[in-house]
Amino acid sequence: MTSLPEQGASAGGSGGWLGRWRALRGNGVLGINARNRRYVMRWNSRSKYPLVDDKLTTKRLALEAGLAVPELYGAVRFQGELIHLDRVLAAPESFVIKPAHGSGGDGVLVVTDRRRGLFIKGDGRALTLRDIEYFVSNILSGVHSLGGIPDVAMVEYRVRPSRLFDAISYRGVPDIRLLIFRGIPAMAMVRLPTRASDGKANLHQGAVGVGIALASGVTGHGVVRDQVVDEHPDFGTPLVGHAIPDWEALLAIGARCADLAGLGYCGVDLVLDEDRGPMMLEINARPGLAIQIANQCGLEQRLKVIEAMRELPTDIGERIALARELDAARTAAG
Amino acid sequence: MPAPFFARLSPLAAMALLLAGIGLGMTVLKAVHYDVPLLPELTTTVWTVEARIGFRGDGGSSKVEFLLPPRVSMERVIDENFVSRGYGLAILEADGRPRKATWTLRRTPTRPQALYYQVRVLGGSVVTDASVPPFPPVPDYKEPLASAIQAVLSQAREQSADVFSFTEQTLRILADTDDENVKVIRNVDDRRSWEHLVAEILAGARIPTRIAYGLPLERPLVEGQLIPWLEVHNGDEWRGYNVVTGAPGYPPGFFIWRYDDADLLRTRDVRDVGLSFSTTQTRVAQMDVAQLTGAAFAVQPFGIDLTRLPVSVQNLYHVVLMLPLGALVVAFMRVVVGVPTFGTFMPILIALAFRETQLAWGLALFLTLVLVGLSLRLALAQLRLLLVPRLAVILVVVVCLMLAITVLSFRLGVEQGLSIALFPMVILAMTIERMSIVWEERGFGETAKETAGSLLVAVCGYFVMNEPHLEHLMFYFPELLLVVLAVLLLLGAYSGYRLTELFRFGALARAR
Repeated sequence: MTSLPEQGASAGGSGGWLGRWRALRGNGVLGINARNRRYVMRWNSRSKYPLVDDKLTTKRLALEAGLAVPELYGAVRFQGELIHLDRVLAAPESFVIKPAHGSGGDGVLVVTDRRRGLFIKGDGRALTLRDIEYFVSNILSGVHSLGGIPDVAMVEYRVRPSRLFDAISYRGVPDIRLLIFRGIPAMAMVRLPTRASDGKANLHQGAVGVGIALASGVTGHGVVRDQVVDEHPDFGTPLVGHAIPDWEALLAIGARCADLAGLGYCGVDLVLDEDRGPMMLEINARPGLAIQIANQCGLEQRLKVIEAMRELPTDIGERIALARELDAARTAAG
Repeated sequence: MPAPFFARLSPLAAMALLLAGIGLGMTVLKAVHYDVPLLPELTTTVWTVEARIGFRGDGGSSKVEFLLPPRVSMERVIDENFVSRGYGLAILEADGRPRKATWTLRRTPTRPQALYYQVRVLGGSVVTDASVPPFPPVPDYKEPLASAIQAVLSQAREQSADVFSFTEQTLRILADTDDENVKVIRNVDDRRSWEHLVAEILAGARIPTRIAYGLPLERPLVEGQLIPWLEVHNGDEWRGYNVVTGAPGYPPGFFIWRYDDADLLRTRDVRDVGLSFSTTQTRVAQMDVAQLTGAAFAVQPFGIDLTRLPVSVQNLYHVVLMLPLGALVVAFMRVVVGVPTFGTFMPILIALAFRETQLAWGLALFLTLVLVGLSLRLALAQLRLLLVPRLAVILVVVVCLMLAITVLSFRLGVEQGLSIALFPMVILAMTIERMSIVWEERGFGETAKETAGSLLVAVCGYFVMNEPHLEHLMFYFPELLLVVLAVLLLLGAYSGYRLTELFRFGALARAR
């Protein structure tokens, strides 16, 4: 990784706030203000936001482009449609319900099984149809969307996580976050659910973020609640050294998704399904910054290198090659 | 490092610099050239007392006669001002009698009209007319009032030595509502004030009294009325008495407008007449007071002068002008410090409420409301209500809680509890709803964190918005808003770390 200036060592101690500030600057760590002003506001056109804020639209765009996404079983738009909810839920053995405008993984209900007319949640708890109707009704009222705007509830295919992650994820589905800048993958991590996160791959809720080297697709250190860890908090299994399968394909999907959304700076969330392979879950126009902690590396230098390039390849394969090349060069330099 | 920073922000920085330059320049000019004081310490409190006469005409000629304060009260007055656009104004000055302002207009419109009379009064000691009154005749009371009054008076007479101690004893007896005689007296159906009845009782002992009507100059008043105050003469001097407590003296800074039942307002050919009084504090440079006495209204010949506005509007702007500073605090705390809060401006509205309730009480009341509201909301989750009705239910619950706290604190005699009604209810209801969602999804820790963040910002906002120096500056130099704007522009362009990020990214600050 990047070479870090020596004075950073004093930051934790008596170097104080200014010392810490300088150390972060020196390591090229991107802060929220800088992300918003220099990247989100500069590279993401406001008009593209609806495409990614509404997951139904994102899904439609991806399908049109021939990208794999979790199959949509149905969408509930109005309170009046709640009475037909049982028909939507009748066929699939397991499913996921989520708000189309949700953020940060809030308001996601995962049903993994059913038993005697009851729906079994990911954590083993049983729900009645009435419970699910109330949950959907809350989504429609806009509880999980910003500003309480009426929302749409989506019922879709539940991803079966690849067995590869069994040893390092607690229930739920791990997802892979790619940070794409100007169509070039700049950083990556995989988010592993934990007991604390209630089986959700959501860093706010206590999931582990594990850095992935772009060049090799091999995992590195992890981060839980902004603290660096090397073992899964529930299992104690090492997080370092897992090779993500289909890495090249994942990077390509990520780059294509960024093109699809027309966003210069975005986060693409992907999953690896046991049967159906890589799928795109959602695109985020304001991707979080914890990916830096997971990779133990600041984003700024990487972004600046890409920003400074006057011409970028348009071909997906060439762009992936460039991303891996840049990462390999950094690793060699470090 | 700073060089490229400014190079990148140049249009914005230039704009901010320009705005700040104009704002500061006007402020300095006002302070240096026109002697508007920068610090409240260099000033004296001057009260602006304003009478507002509102009415409608009927299309024909109209006449409004208004009694001005007596000569003795005018000794405290620095200057007076009549605001009566289009009306003819005459001031009648009869010998030994108070002055009268007469406004006339030939064709009076039927839409609402308003006439203003403003005086600027120095705070300080109360002055009252010193004329010696004759002894009053003994009033002709009816039974059983007569015996009750006689009993009270003879009891007071036994326990007193002179007119003033007699008055105090009488008031003390009258304050005892368990006394049988007092019950009889208090039951009298008299439409006039208690002061009048006390005056009549004292007349039974042939003690000269009068009722002074005036305004206490203690806190700003909006659209109030003159209050009656009892005065007693002992042969040498007048002394005011609080008829409720029996204590001698006047309300703080009492400005006497008229005595006894002299007609305050007389009108001809107008309808819907209303008379109200407002007061507000203004501050003038200490040296100015000497110059001002008897001189014309002090006019700021430059910039925005809020002291020329009607008094009730001035009182409003004392608060309104502090809001941008509150917004500045929020912006700073969010962008530079990185404190998480519920809602963007909720902390500022809470801080505004703290201004009225005082800090400790405000915090206690806020936490009580939120805690009880939140537990009720979490209980409501069982009922599975739809979002908007649920929000409305929480709003009603919040109002009920506020009512309960107000009534309870009134019973307990805790005055601060009464001010709870100033909390922004709708915002509180939304906050409780947001809290419960955060609680359900992210757990107690996150809820506590955001609540603490909101309160921290609210408390900072309170200290900024309650700072008398800042309030003085903003009111007398509203041009400083441009400076606030400039700072906000710069904050909007801040792309450095938030202080909380220094901890969040602590793991990245160490060299490996």
